[in-house]
Amino acid sequence: MNVIETKNLTKYYGEVKGVENLTFSVKKGEIFGFLGPNGAGKTTTIRTLLGYLNKTSGEAYIFGKNIDDEIVDIKKEVGYIPGDLNIYGHLTGKQLLDFFSSLRHREMILLDELLKIFNIPLERKIKGYSKGMKQMLGIIQAFMDDPEIVIMDEPTSGLDPLLQQKFYDFLRKQKTKRKTMFLSSHILSEVDKICDRIGIIKEGELVALENVDTLKSKSGKKIKLKIKEKPEKFKGPKDMKIHDGWIEFVTTDNIDIWIKEFSKYTIIDLDINDFSLEDIFIHYYEMKS
Amino acid sequence: MNSILSFKIAIQTFKDNFKTTIILTGLFGIMAVVYAGMFPSFKDLLDQMAESGGLDPFSSFFGPAAMDMNSYVGFLYLEMYQIFIIIILAIVIGFIASSIVSKEVELKTIDLFMSNPVSRKQIIFEKFIGLIPMVLIINFITMIAIIFTTSAIGETLDFGYLFLTHIILIPYLLAIVAIGILISVIIDEKMKGAIIMIAVIIAMYVYQTMGQMISSLEFIKYFSLMYYTNAYEVLKFGKVDVAGFIILSTATILLLIITMIYFEHKDLRL
Repeated sequence: MNVIETKNLTKYYGEVKGVENLTFSVKKGEIFGFLGPNGAGKTTTIRTLLGYLNKTSGEAYIFGKNIDDEIVDIKKEVGYIPGDLNIYGHLTGKQLLDFFSSLRHREMILLDELLKIFNIPLERKIKGYSKGMKQMLGIIQAFMDDPEIVIMDEPTSGLDPLLQQKFYDFLRKQKTKRKTMFLSSHILSEVDKICDRIGIIKEGELVALENVDTLKSKSGKKIKLKIKEKPEKFKGPKDMKIHDGWIEFVTTDNIDIWIKEFSKYTIIDLDINDFSLEDIFIHYYEMKS
Repeated sequence: MNSILSFKIAIQTFKDNFKTTIILTGLFGIMAVVYAGMFPSFKDLLDQMAESGGLDPFSSFFGPAAMDMNSYVGFLYLEMYQIFIIIILAIVIGFIASSIVSKEVELKTIDLFMSNPVSRKQIIFEKFIGLIPMVLIINFITMIAIIFTTSAIGETLDFGYLFLTHIILIPYLLAIVAIGILISVIIDEKMKGAIIMIAVIIAMYVYQTMGQMISSLEFIKYFSLMYYTNAYEVLKFGKVDVAGFIILSTATILLLIITMIYFEHKDLRL
């Protein structure tokens, strides 16, 4: 079942393109990573899905409900952590959570659990919070009523590594409960750790949409090799690069062919690695450029 | 529970403005005591001016109340109501209303706030409702201060008419709030919005005054909300302008509907 579905979703700010022809879906129970550098259109996509921006054309549905007509109903089941998190400074953390609870009309079933994970001074005014504390409060308010889907825009910004780890563990626990999460980020290691599927957005258009493992395996392996002979003598692929005496290339072929080829030389050092998400990301950006 | 009827945003708006309400209530209460209490000191001078025709030039600018300035009601209307409530209180309340949405956009707090299941229409409606207690508290505490001072200085005033005056001021002040909220959804910068709001109130005052002074420009007074309050007629004779009351109430409703429609279709670019 698709929880989020967009068909040719397009948003223009006057003449300026925000996003164009975005077609993708997010399935129930998956953690979907939405990748792209700053200005690529991640936030525009999120803000259009949540009804902050009026789409120029296309369609978008959340739980099968059209974002144009049923956005208030949709928000009953959606939590949101904005990228640029700004919270009422004059309220205390408790007052903010009470206010938001009163607007949601649901039992805050995860509130106690979240407050145990993210220890924040609830009685203190938010203007006295550090960036990390504000981020924790943002996470708590998004998840406190256990919504079916949480849309997050750079959610770990400002969190220390220990809290980030606790947050990832919490997301994994939510996933076991078949909750859906849409994670927009440019921190590739984060997406690599927790996402099932990713979409890569570039200049407002979707350039890749794939399962993380499939994408990695499709991308092949990175091979780095140092031989006693002159590197130029090595019969590698056309796009082979030589850098500081290292021969570098990428292969999607059977690795056995290359191991046999290496045996014809005197190997000083050899490094064979899977593609990291970062490599894939850079590959997509360089390729399209 | 129906979220439309829960008024949680309205309650929060009232709480957010509570300190301001208390401060303004205190200031306008003190102002009422000072102005009403000043009358005995000016009475003789004003009587002399009235006898010598010295008040006549003011009547074309300030209306018929100027001719009656040597009476307590005329003095109270001109000094307290026309200046401090109809203009200054309107500017203060308009100033607050004109930033009620734009400050959320400017500070970007609207991003998280609107992630809750609330419609944009509900936000506008409840923000308006949330400002009503401020209007009522300042309005009626000022009235109580006038009653107290009137009794203290031994002047006579029909307290029934006084109460009616403060009743007919409500639709005027709420119409000002509605203009302010409309400005706050159109202009995203709160200071710019506040300046426009002040300009609108001053323009309305000028329209009303010019309309009274220049017969060829009489029609422009109809564009001023102040024209429909007629507070002097109510305070002096207890004559309520029902048509004015209805026009102000209708203007408020129309302004709110326009604001809701505009806000509903607005891109919230933060």
